Amino acid sequence: MKISLAKYGGQTAGMLLGRAPRVLEADTLPPPAAQELARLVETAKATAAATGVGLGRARDMMSYTITVEDSGHQTVLKQSDTNMSPAFRNLLGWLERHMK
Amino acid sequence: MTRTCRCLNCIIPPHLLRRLLESESREVRQAAMNTLLNSARLRGQRSLRATFGIGLSAAPTDGRRSIFDCENRARIAGAVLVQTEQGEASRDTSVTRAFEGLGTTRQFYREVLNRNSIDDRGMRLDGYVHFDTSYNNAFWDGQQMVFGDGDGVVFTDFTSSLDVIAHELAHGVTEHVAGLEYHLQSGALNESMSDVFGSLVKHWSLGQTADQADWLIGAEVFTPGVDADALRSMKAPGTAYDNDTFGKDPQPDRMSKFVQLPDTEEGDWGGVHINSGIPNKAFHLTATGIGGYAWEAPGLIWYEALRASGPTTEFQEFADRTYLMAEDLYGAGSIEQQAVQDAWRQVGIRISRTAARRRPGQRRKGDLLVGEEAGYDGGALAALSRQMETLSAQVHALSKEVSALKGDRTPSEAGGPRGRPANAKLGRLANS
Ligand SMILES: [Zn+2]
Repeated sequence: MKISLAKYGGQTAGMLLGRAPRVLEADTLPPPAAQELARLVETAKATAAATGVGLGRARDMMSYTITVEDSGHQTVLKQSDTNMSPAFRNLLGWLERHMK
Repeated sequence: MTRTCRCLNCIIPPHLLRRLLESESREVRQAAMNTLLNSARLRGQRSLRATFGIGLSAAPTDGRRSIFDCENRARIAGAVLVQTEQGEASRDTSVTRAFEGLGTTRQFYREVLNRNSIDDRGMRLDGYVHFDTSYNNAFWDGQQMVFGDGDGVVFTDFTSSLDVIAHELAHGVTEHVAGLEYHLQSGALNESMSDVFGSLVKHWSLGQTADQADWLIGAEVFTPGVDADALRSMKAPGTAYDNDTFGKDPQPDRMSKFVQLPDTEEGDWGGVHINSGIPNKAFHLTATGIGGYAWEAPGLIWYEALRASGPTTEFQEFADRTYLMAEDLYGAGSIEQQAVQDAWRQVGIRISRTAARRRPGQRRKGDLLVGEEAGYDGGALAALSRQMETLSAQVHALSKEVSALKGDRTPSEAGGPRGRPANAKLGRLANS
């Protein structure tokens, strides 16, 4: 499984613009970490974005695209600060910690 | 409905005002009343009102601040209330900075622009700190301001920059005043308004003139040793950073460099944080062209042009509005109006012919600046205006002297920003 993360917008929009997504190969992870990632990915895939309060009137919020490629199958998950589901946030947090 | 007064920037001494208000001519009475209302609203010179005893004051409880601690969770719901206007001061520096920053910004709007908080009706100010972990951002969620701690590697706490705090609050003001749509040119204008008023709050709190200010947004959000000046530079868009970590600052400083980006999240909604460099630069050029404090004439022109804007206002329309507003506030061909025109020309926007050709007193859409009405004696008003302009200059000079005298006698208050201009000190006196 290959997973990539791209971030957009917010106060650092100019710094994020045109930056290549960060990529992580699950095969390179120790088995427990790979299993945890797989579990987080499955939960995030199964959970829809929350209905954001004031979404549309939010300013400077960031948005995130997580792309999962597994056995030739691609899933794209897109959410932003103001409508993020807890499952997406958990996956994002995990990726931020492991993609440093 | 308001009538045009050619000297909206003037402040009339009470004795003259009384005489004018008691005039037998209804027109003169009306003009005096309009001038009083306009000058009070436009200038918001609390200091002058205090000095000369014209009483108008906002309740100090308006725009009440509450700071919440998200405790590094990525949600607003469940955040803990940690500081209010009444309670004990927090020992958490993020909380203190947010609280003080919102307070300074609230005070700026009240004293400089005579605006009572975000909605001009005393809307409460809610700030959320410690949002998420390693969160490199601050945002306005449509109701409140949210600040991240930064990752601690390249970014530090986003409450560290007063202009970032004021930037987020200004998004609320723009939403209430003009509702500029957050994409393409109107979105870039929206972003620029937040940078303009964010930086004006900083200039004002430091007592800096346009020449003294650094015109940087978010200069303090980086960890020590990071090779970046700021998130954005209004003075020199495109030069805030240039390194391997961040790449090169992509902000354009003129229309020929306008960056075409997709109107999607991935494209920053057409580059709202990118193309804001163009109007940012126009404001900087206006302010340095006029000289002195940028929150005075330049800030007032921009604020009133924003008030006259709508959801789909683009650069050209906004430029025209600033030009017309400069004329209405300071006169046709005034230094202020010339500076506005020059500034936009330098970023590649020419004031449109219709705006440039408008005759004084001509009726304008919206009720903000409406010219002569049927039966209205324009000649008498013009004479009155000239008289008021002369008096205004004298009163302004006098008020500066009085302010300086009062300022000399007033030791700066504990915890207040140092080097604050005398008029701000006076404003605080008026509150106490
Ligand atoms: Zn913004």
